[in-house]
Amino acid sequence: MRETTPFFRSARLWQKWIDSVARYTLMILLALALFGLILLLSGRNPLLSYRDMLKFTLGSAYGFSEVLVAMTPMLLTALAVALPSRLILINVGVEGQLYIGACCATWAALTFSHLPAYLLLPLMALLGMLGGALWALVPGYLKARGIVNETITTLLLNSVAPKIVSFFIFGFWHSPVDTDKTANFVPAARLPTFFGTRIDLSFWIALALLGVFWWFMKFTRWGLEMRAIGGNPQAARRNGIPVGSYLVAAMCVGGAIAGLAGMAQVSGYYGLLLANFSRGIGYMGFLISWLSFGDPLGILLMSFVVAVIFTGGNLLQLTQALPFAAINLLLALTLFVVLARVRFPAFARGKAS
Amino acid sequence: MTLLSVLGVISSAIFSGTSLLYTTLGEVITERSGIVNLGLEGVLLVSASSGFAVTCRTGNPYLGVLTAALVGGLMNLVLGYVVVTRGGNQLASGLALMFAGFGLSALIGKPYVGAKIHGLPRILLPGLAKLPRLYTSLFQFDMLIYLAIPTAFLVWWLLYRTRWGLGLRAVGESADTAFASGRNPWRIRYQALFVGGLLAGLGAAHLSIAYAMNWTEYMTGGRGFIAVALVIFSKWHPLRAIVGALLFSGAVAFQLLLQASGVKVSPFLLDTIPYFLTLLVLMVWGGTRRYAAPASLGRVYHGTES
Amino acid sequence: MNRSRFASLAAVVTLLSLLLTACGPAATPTTVPPSAPPAPPTATPVPPTAAPTPTPEKPCLIIGALYGGPITDAGYNQAMHDSVMAIKENIACVQIIEAENVPDEAGATTTMENMIAQGAKMIIATAFNHQNPAFELSKKYPDVIFEHAGGWMMGPNFANFFGKPPDTWYLMGVAAGLMTQSGKLGFVAAFPLGWTLTFVNAFTLGAQSVKPDVQTIVAFTFAWGDSAKEADATNSLINQGCDVITMHVDSPATVISTAESRGVYSIGFQSLAAQQFAPEYWITGVGYTLGGKLTWLASKVIDGTWEPIFLRCGLADGCMAIAPFGPKVPQEVQDRVNQVRADLEAGNIVVFKGPIVDQDGNIRVPEGEVLTDDKMSAVDWFVKGVIGSPK
Repeated sequence: MRETTPFFRSARLWQKWIDSVARYTLMILLALALFGLILLLSGRNPLLSYRDMLKFTLGSAYGFSEVLVAMTPMLLTALAVALPSRLILINVGVEGQLYIGACCATWAALTFSHLPAYLLLPLMALLGMLGGALWALVPGYLKARGIVNETITTLLLNSVAPKIVSFFIFGFWHSPVDTDKTANFVPAARLPTFFGTRIDLSFWIALALLGVFWWFMKFTRWGLEMRAIGGNPQAARRNGIPVGSYLVAAMCVGGAIAGLAGMAQVSGYYGLLLANFSRGIGYMGFLISWLSFGDPLGILLMSFVVAVIFTGGNLLQLTQALPFAAINLLLALTLFVVLARVRFPAFARGKAS
Repeated sequence: MTLLSVLGVISSAIFSGTSLLYTTLGEVITERSGIVNLGLEGVLLVSASSGFAVTCRTGNPYLGVLTAALVGGLMNLVLGYVVVTRGGNQLASGLALMFAGFGLSALIGKPYVGAKIHGLPRILLPGLAKLPRLYTSLFQFDMLIYLAIPTAFLVWWLLYRTRWGLGLRAVGESADTAFASGRNPWRIRYQALFVGGLLAGLGAAHLSIAYAMNWTEYMTGGRGFIAVALVIFSKWHPLRAIVGALLFSGAVAFQLLLQASGVKVSPFLLDTIPYFLTLLVLMVWGGTRRYAAPASLGRVYHGTES
Repeated sequence: MNRSRFASLAAVVTLLSLLLTACGPAATPTTVPPSAPPAPPTATPVPPTAAPTPTPEKPCLIIGALYGGPITDAGYNQAMHDSVMAIKENIACVQIIEAENVPDEAGATTTMENMIAQGAKMIIATAFNHQNPAFELSKKYPDVIFEHAGGWMMGPNFANFFGKPPDTWYLMGVAAGLMTQSGKLGFVAAFPLGWTLTFVNAFTLGAQSVKPDVQTIVAFTFAWGDSAKEADATNSLINQGCDVITMHVDSPATVISTAESRGVYSIGFQSLAAQQFAPEYWITGVGYTLGGKLTWLASKVIDGTWEPIFLRCGLADGCMAIAPFGPKVPQEVQDRVNQVRADLEAGNIVVFKGPIVDQDGNIRVPEGEVLTDDKMSAVDWFVKGVIGSPK
């Protein structure tokens, strides 16, 4: 049960892959069966529901593009958790970092709306990342100094961040003809979209970042040292690796990626800043990263599955009169089944302090 | 500021703080046994919706309260299966429980959105009946409010004055040591989760059956996470939780009073103060005595693991 | 072994869901979801599959209607839902696809795209945040007619419709002013939105017309449907001495139930269904009844003569309705309110006629002028006598 070699470095990589794909498929089938039972109990036809879902999400070009759109923020937030998790840092704070990133990017979009897109978009991304990184700096520093556990601080800051966003929206950016949001961004502040769908630049950036993350962990000295710290912090410290700096840096980079996800949400998906827009994207990223052991390919697959479920849920509301929020149940069942089955060695030992 | 407005703030704080207090007390118990439940938000939602549904169907709010409490306990047992028996990661499993709660509560509550119920009856304490109506209306509470603070003392007594509580805290500090001294960590954690869920269910019941008298999707509005923060604020102690819950809800009541007095202070900034206060308190304690968190909080107990 | 553990997990979940879905009395024989006793006529269920089922006759028009909140909220969304369903009652051959709880713009885009993919040729978008995405989609789908509730944009296949609430709010203010003893009225509002401020102002002016020194205290919840915050706000207002409570949030359920439980008068808004929450302390209320006009619009779409018109209709047109008075309202109050209603409909009373002074004493509408509709939507001040911040 307790594997010690990392997942992707195994010699018989493909064999393992096929095994785990088969295992995950079985688990997802089990979750589908459980949710089907609940659908049946509430008087809906599960087979028709699943057929509708699959036909829409995988059977139509528009539906498939919507799946990729829904996947984008999850890729980024999962990455924001995966990177610090290599140092056994538990970044539950992605939700908050996402909000602050969105808030900073919005400030740039509204203040420098006269700039051309090639200047404005990088500026928004930069500020979004800076905001997210700053929001992660506090927990990272307190953790590195051994004062407070990062789980606790990031959770607290998660509750604060949406309130700060609301403070700015209602205090400064709100016009009497709007409710809980800013005005629409100018076109220069919107990420370019592709193929006439809502897939925007951030999707490709997220994919690229996943690749960079994989390369970074495998081939750079920093990646090597991070693996050493993740394996045994005391030994790493004795070998002269600056563990504290790594902890703070990893938290900040994670925060920056989360901030970028926030920027992508306001600049790409929404085109404005909405109060309380996230409703758990950050937590979803945490779950995805966790279930895929922080492995880039795993993140990709897991995000895809989650996105299919979410996107399909929107359709079920129309064809099965199923409340949209109910689709969370299918998602949670999938997660439970996987969680109850899989143990990840580094985490299972608990929070090493 | 008149006496009446001060009393008004206190009354508002008591009304809205009750659900927080029950939920926090429940979380204190589960965290004392070494399990952190981030899915509290979902537990609250499912309890609130099912309690509301039963109240609506039967017309009896007490049955609704009972249902909400039991459902809270059951939800926590689901978490227990994943984290205690299967050894799943607590944070991830808790978050999964939260999403499950979002979905399940929407399904349960759907037919009851906008339904009318008779909420928990408000009872005036006998001694207060002679006061003017303006005052009696402030302090006419329901049963769950009257029982909230006694419940906090009960939880304190359970945790610190009974063998069960001693065992529970021992498991929370070190499951291995507790196991070595003849306790069953698995069973104790299941029990703690169930009792904690019952209390969270009472909090949710107060929200939907007694306070808002309504069911809407996502109606708990982050109260589950506030409760997790309050547990930290109260240093995992049930009596300090009373202060914490009143502080949080008092801040909201005070902010509404300011708003209605025409004072231009952002309600959102005022709302953040309790969180920053908690953070500050943590940092101060962090430097001195390693904050009083149960030592094995968040760890999986595998049995004979070294 | 693993299988047995899976089985027990399955058992726990099943048990849980069984317990929850079977919580009602044994009256319902099947597992069809039970409907709450006081619930209004629920949505005609959409046929389980959309496209390929061989329907006996093709619908003459498929209408996609989307709402920001739940359609049984006894408030705004229910009023809109009832109005949309009136189309189906009057024109049997239309088919209606509904989506509730679509609060944000991006979600609205997905939902409307899905509706159009299901064959909808008319979209009725009812929430504030639906206007922009609906307008954008109207350019992408020129053969689909878009009607939005309560906005201002117009296009070749995009138009706006709504009631005219300010007059009715004035009327409610008259009733509140006659009923209050403390001279303090409480107003629970969602957002400092131009229209909301206009409603508060009209309500206050109405109350001041019968009791000049009346004050209205405003508390914002910053959400269209956050029951807990609405209860907080209502309690706070009552604790400050307000003895009549009204609201501009999606569902009046919590606010009115809370006022009732504390023995305080309430005035409803959005849907006439609000009255059920206050059997004792109800004064009166206003609801949107737009079914007639929506039916007319749909018939225009069916016979191909639809044109974009900016539709605003009030009490006299049947687009707004006044709820019956509660049991504690004396006859002379009822007579007075009805008299004012007649005066408003005859044009003898104009609500926002100058001079109108704001909280700080500045003149906002000079003598001899009237506040126009498009200015009402962007009001950022309160009239004198309102306590609270308009920002």
